[in-house]
Amino acid sequence: MTQYKSRLYKSRIDWLLLGAMAGLVLLGALCIMSAVNAVSFSNAIVRTHLIALPLGFVAFFAAWSFNYQIFDEQWKPLYGVIMALLIGVLLFGTYQRGSKSWFVFPFFSMQPAEICRVLTILVAAAFLDRQGRRIRDMRTLVLLGALLVPIFGLIMLQPDFSSIVITFPALLALLYCAGINVFYLGLVFSFAAVAGFFTVAWTYLYLHPSLLDYAVLNVFYNLASNPLYMGGFALLVALGGYAAWWFFKQLRIFLPSFYFVLASLVVLAGFFAGVFADHQMKPYQRKRVEAFLAPQSDPQGASYNVLQAQIAMGSGGILGKGLFSGTQSRLGFVPEKHTDFILAVVGEELGLWGTLLVLGLYLLILWRIAIIAYLASDRYGYLVCSGIFGMFLTYMLINFGMLIGLFPVAGIPLPFISYGGSNLVSSMLALGVVQSVYARRITSG
Amino acid sequence: MAAVKASFNSRLRFLLVLAMVAGAVVALRLTDIQLLRHNRYLQLAERNRTQVLYQTAPRGRIFTADGKAVAANAPAFDLYYLSAGPKDEAYFERLAADFAPHLGQSAQEVLDKVRQGVKSGKAVALAENLSPKSILPLKEMQLYYPGVYLIEENKRVYPYGSFASHLIGYLGSMEGDEWKNRDLSLDYRLDAKIGKNGLEKKFEKELKGRDGGVFLEVDYRGRVKRVIEDRKWQSGNDVYLTLNYAVQHAAEEGLKNSITGRGAAVALDPRNGAVLALATAPAFEPGMFVPYSDEPQPKSKRISEYNLAVQGVYPPASTFKVITAIAAIEKGGFDPEKTVYCPGFYDAGSRVFKCWGVHGDDNFFDGMADSCDVYFYTLAAQTGSAAIEKTQRMFQIGQPTGIDLPGEKAGNIYGPTKRARNRSYWFIGDTLNLSIGQGELLFTPIKMAQFAAALASKGKIWRPYYLDRIVNSHNGRVLQQGESEVLATVDIKPSTWDLIYKALKHTVDDGTARRVKINGLDVYGKTGTAQNPHGDDHGWFMAFAGRPGEEPSLAVAVFVEFGKGGAGAAGPIAREMIKAYFGIEDKPAVKPAPSKTDRAIQHMEAENVFSSIRLLQQALEQNGQRENNRDAI
Repeated sequence: MTQYKSRLYKSRIDWLLLGAMAGLVLLGALCIMSAVNAVSFSNAIVRTHLIALPLGFVAFFAAWSFNYQIFDEQWKPLYGVIMALLIGVLLFGTYQRGSKSWFVFPFFSMQPAEICRVLTILVAAAFLDRQGRRIRDMRTLVLLGALLVPIFGLIMLQPDFSSIVITFPALLALLYCAGINVFYLGLVFSFAAVAGFFTVAWTYLYLHPSLLDYAVLNVFYNLASNPLYMGGFALLVALGGYAAWWFFKQLRIFLPSFYFVLASLVVLAGFFAGVFADHQMKPYQRKRVEAFLAPQSDPQGASYNVLQAQIAMGSGGILGKGLFSGTQSRLGFVPEKHTDFILAVVGEELGLWGTLLVLGLYLLILWRIAIIAYLASDRYGYLVCSGIFGMFLTYMLINFGMLIGLFPVAGIPLPFISYGGSNLVSSMLALGVVQSVYARRITSG
Repeated sequence: MAAVKASFNSRLRFLLVLAMVAGAVVALRLTDIQLLRHNRYLQLAERNRTQVLYQTAPRGRIFTADGKAVAANAPAFDLYYLSAGPKDEAYFERLAADFAPHLGQSAQEVLDKVRQGVKSGKAVALAENLSPKSILPLKEMQLYYPGVYLIEENKRVYPYGSFASHLIGYLGSMEGDEWKNRDLSLDYRLDAKIGKNGLEKKFEKELKGRDGGVFLEVDYRGRVKRVIEDRKWQSGNDVYLTLNYAVQHAAEEGLKNSITGRGAAVALDPRNGAVLALATAPAFEPGMFVPYSDEPQPKSKRISEYNLAVQGVYPPASTFKVITAIAAIEKGGFDPEKTVYCPGFYDAGSRVFKCWGVHGDDNFFDGMADSCDVYFYTLAAQTGSAAIEKTQRMFQIGQPTGIDLPGEKAGNIYGPTKRARNRSYWFIGDTLNLSIGQGELLFTPIKMAQFAAALASKGKIWRPYYLDRIVNSHNGRVLQQGESEVLATVDIKPSTWDLIYKALKHTVDDGTARRVKINGLDVYGKTGTAQNPHGDDHGWFMAFAGRPGEEPSLAVAVFVEFGKGGAGAAGPIAREMIKAYFGIEDKPAVKPAPSKTDRAIQHMEAENVFSSIRLLQQALEQNGQRENNRDAI
């Protein structure tokens, strides 16, 4: 095993990964400058980004020089740091856009959820690494759940859905790569699906009050608000589970009753998560869901943003209009042009080559992370890389998908390209950890 | 350990493959948006960022043959407030109060528009289509009020008022979905004025220019950032007509001052079929459809769009006697000197047909000059209706002239063949009615002019054309040229023409049309009075003229509705048109010496008792159905 690996080219750093990251960061800096060029506060944005950039590199090289195994050993303090940051932001944070997710310091502000995302992956990987062969047991999943629920709960309290939208799939990918039983993974997935279904359905009803005239839908809508209804629903689910078990018994198909209990529990958990999400959701977020459900219904509203972004990209053509020359972004038709919709600026000003370059660099990064996971000298390195792989994959899919109309607008930045110091630093930190895994790929001894 | 690791890696590899597939999908979709739909999105982006203050291009001018621009353009102005200007309520109020008097609006109206513009962040038109008279003060005030923007436009004007109004037509706004039928490459705006009638409609494509405009760059709130381009307009193409200004003017003046003010006059050049005049009365002012906004608006925009010259059909009456004569001469055995005695009536056996007077002995030339019905009854009885119908067909009676105008009526041919086709019988009375141009015969004034031109050119039936050429107003290139076309040729003996010419000249020199006589010109003509059961008779006059020794160069047909008589109502108009064409000084009309006709009229009055007896006789004998068509001059 070691002999096989010792034949590899012994570089301390994966230059392809570093190059791809540097390319994206450079492109991002240019596009941010161009996007905010016409905005009155452009200087402040460019200055902040140019400060965040070296900080990111510092984080990157620091993580690279550290032995990543320290995170494996010190996962409990790390968990403590996460909790401290998340509780701290709830206590001392500042509201911005209705979310209490910012620490504001005299010269800069930071979003702890961003760094917590990377730390959560490190902690979860460490926990899974410790499980060893028990990884396929139910117990592992339950324990991990117990570990992560406080983190998600605290993030939900801010509330910062966007963060969860990224972290949850990343952790799913990590679990999948860790070798968890696919049936359990399916349960986790169903949980998310049930929670998502309730949230979307309620949002839809909230936006279409006329549908509430139907008694069934009315009761369904009120499930979220009335504790009595909630209790009734829980009882109903339990009875439904029992009835299903009884039904299968009558058919002489013998399944462990354990499965039915589990199914009922997942439905209930999803339901309550949905209720929670529904209570925490803000009108503009509902609008986004609405815009995704029916984009034509409101051309000047929420789907207007996506349309304008697509107009920007489409009008760029193959070669683009040139940096600092995009009319859509410069004249303000594209919203959030330097953050979530930065790709629209890339598409408008650098054209198809620009967007394909960004996509290509992202795929290069993903490919390198997967290779490094394969080369990792220990299981922890492999798990960490898998989690980070899942995180960047999610970022890429959602951000590109949002622009091409495959996902609802979720307020997800595109790491390395979008403006946002916390995101930039924590993303570079994550790649630094990956580089650290790469640098220590040959087992000592 | 290794085995476990390998299985883990297969899952990671699966995720990697998933990522690559997703990447490929995204790349395809990006290509779709940025490559395949590029043009559409580029258009949307351009539309997003530009706001255009349009400037209507000048329409092509319409000229007469002698170079008078009868449809032209005058400057008009639009006043805009660009929301890039100051945004101070007191400023708006001052602006509104100062500008309102010049715009024909109240200060409140102006203020509302300014506020609305500022609210929407768009450039707003405070007033459109302003006349040049208020431009100087507005230009000065523009200096004191930043944000106010004056742009120049063009407006159609008709310098000669109602000149050739039915031919030229008028402009109007597009209605409903009309813009959908428009050629999109011409960039019609929703508020564009388009030709609604006449040549303005017919040559819409040629006359319309390319609108110019001030292209402003606006941001997502509509705020004006800068002027991208000040695109100049491109004027439309000029249309040159064959109309002769003097002749047309004489025709219109004559019709307007005629006894009823209703009628039509057409003049053709018998050498090529060019329309020299095409007048219909009552005319209208095409300019009233495109007024300046700060001038008094016309109270009523009701006009008569009915172009009588090509759409009105009437019995040709005595003018038709020329065809009867041609038929008789061509049939052979015709002696022009042979006289027919006119006692004031014609005994057709079962029925008596009256003449309009008592003419005594008339040979062919006097018969034509006096328009003696009895002479032509006799001629027709000898010649037969079939020959007359054949001659009609030679002159293409009952067919449209082919002038390129909408709604032209064909008129009606009348004869035994036509009657047989309708499965009915033909009587001797029909022949007599036909011979003097009554019965079911119908002519349009343009048809009558075509007929006169055919006589003048000795047999050429021209398709009348009014378009001389269409010229590109920039480089003078001729884009389209009018063409003269002979539809048919009437092939009859030269001696027949000589007889007809002599008779028609005699009619003008010493006959019913002697009021039209012009010294120094050879004028040939024939009057006609079409009896009208619903009111006064209609007057016809058909003539052609030329300088002595030259071939005739003008053919004229004049029709005056309810004009009572051809000689009195239509004749003088034709005379003015002929004089205008040949440029002959206006001399008082020749005082007509008492002629044979006058004597006949006096005689008729004296014979009043005799006429009453005759009328009584007729009333008893004839079937009431034909009563209307009997009498003609």
